[in-house]
Amino acid sequence: MDLTLIIGLIVLLIVVVVLLWFFSYYNRVIRYENRIDNAWAQIDVQLKRRADLIPNLMETVKGYMNHERQTLEAVTKARSAVMTAKSPQESINADNMLTGALKTLFAVSESYPDLKANQNFLQLQDELTHTEEKIAYSRQHFNDSVLQFNNTIETFPGNIFANMMRKKTREMLQIPEASREVPKVSF
Amino acid sequence: MEQQPRLIEDHIRKNKRDTVVICMFMVILLFSVIFMVGLILGAPPILTMMIGLPIALFYIFITYSFSVQSVISAAGARPANPQNREEKLLIYKVEEMALAAGLPTPKVYVQESRDINAFATGHNPGDSIICATTGTLQQLNTAELEGVIGHEMSHIRNRDILVMTVTVGVVGAIALLAEIALRMLFWGGAGRGGGKKGEGNIIIIVIAIIFIILAPIFSRLTYLAISRKREYLADADGAYLTRNPEGLAKALEKIKADFPDDPKGSKTVAPLYIANPFKRALRDSIWSTHPPLDERIRRLRSM
Repeated sequence: MDLTLIIGLIVLLIVVVVLLWFFSYYNRVIRYENRIDNAWAQIDVQLKRRADLIPNLMETVKGYMNHERQTLEAVTKARSAVMTAKSPQESINADNMLTGALKTLFAVSESYPDLKANQNFLQLQDELTHTEEKIAYSRQHFNDSVLQFNNTIETFPGNIFANMMRKKTREMLQIPEASREVPKVSF
Repeated sequence: MEQQPRLIEDHIRKNKRDTVVICMFMVILLFSVIFMVGLILGAPPILTMMIGLPIALFYIFITYSFSVQSVISAAGARPANPQNREEKLLIYKVEEMALAAGLPTPKVYVQESRDINAFATGHNPGDSIICATTGTLQQLNTAELEGVIGHEMSHIRNRDILVMTVTVGVVGAIALLAEIALRMLFWGGAGRGGGKKGEGNIIIIVIAIIFIILAPIFSRLTYLAISRKREYLADADGAYLTRNPEGLAKALEKIKADFPDDPKGSKTVAPLYIANPFKRALRDSIWSTHPPLDERIRRLRSM
């Protein structure tokens, strides 16, 4: 058989394999990138949802907790910080403030039996806790997605193509120290 | 699980690949049983396959299509009621776990039963169901419930429902075919195909008969092995979702302590549950649908 023909076929084969690999790599990178954006959208929905619940909560506790001005103000302040946050990290930080403020509020509410018997309040408490969990889990999913994306574009040989695609690594969401702190409750 | 799902996406892709391989393997197994049956009955193999294979595939397809409905009615499950606080918290947990897994939220069902148990079913992640017993809602705390839901969510994400339905379908079909073939053989129906064509054929027929006898056992064992492996995987993936293996470990401990009380549903549904509702496997056995609870707890604790 003709040697050039064989070599030609081998070269062709290699080119085809590399091309196929590149297509699948390209699609994977795009898919992972979209997932990050989608994951962020999910967090954003939950952040908004939680901020929307706050006025209701304030309305419900108003009659009972008039003496807890500080606690209530902290919640309102954190809420407006969430609403005005510009970047994802800012939103997360503000949300952590809100989590802390709410924790204090719910701890303080323990000493108001009337409030604790209020169905509306209980429901709001459940829902706020649920939204908080949802935020935590969507944040986890976001970070998982970012890790996946970064690994894909940074490891060899993918990084060569990632460079050609001008893909940059994404930032994970940091969980601020404040959120790990136990809220101070003062009676 | 020893191999930590360090890159969850790779891990899921591997699962999907495994799923395809298992399904193909099962169809090939069915294919060869049909072929062997044809051989024994003396019909031309090509003809047997042309008739047998479409019927077999159709059978699996039908099983698959009706699987969700039949599982739900076998378990006597009903949609969760958000007015009830316990059930509302279950719905919340499912929503949270779906977010963690990046999947659409499954429908939530409840089964009236004192036992602690849960299962997932559905055809694809976009259209799936998670069902928990009322006993689960009453006896598990938030972290434990979360562990259980994480486990079920992983079944959905790993396409275990597809694997299990296809496998159950094939196992059933093979058992049925083997039964028919052996009965016909005893009635002497196969005699005309065999004896007259000489010595060589008899050996083939004998091999075919042995194959037919062994195939149901073999397919059943394969299915059980797959089922056990998928349980370990769902445990590991579930723990990865909740980031808290201890929650599921505690839940499994409670299940272990809580002996099954009047299990509902059929045995076909048993492999779908988080723990087999009909028996508590304490030792490792090739005949059980689930790995022993102790071993699962041990693996969760060593993560």
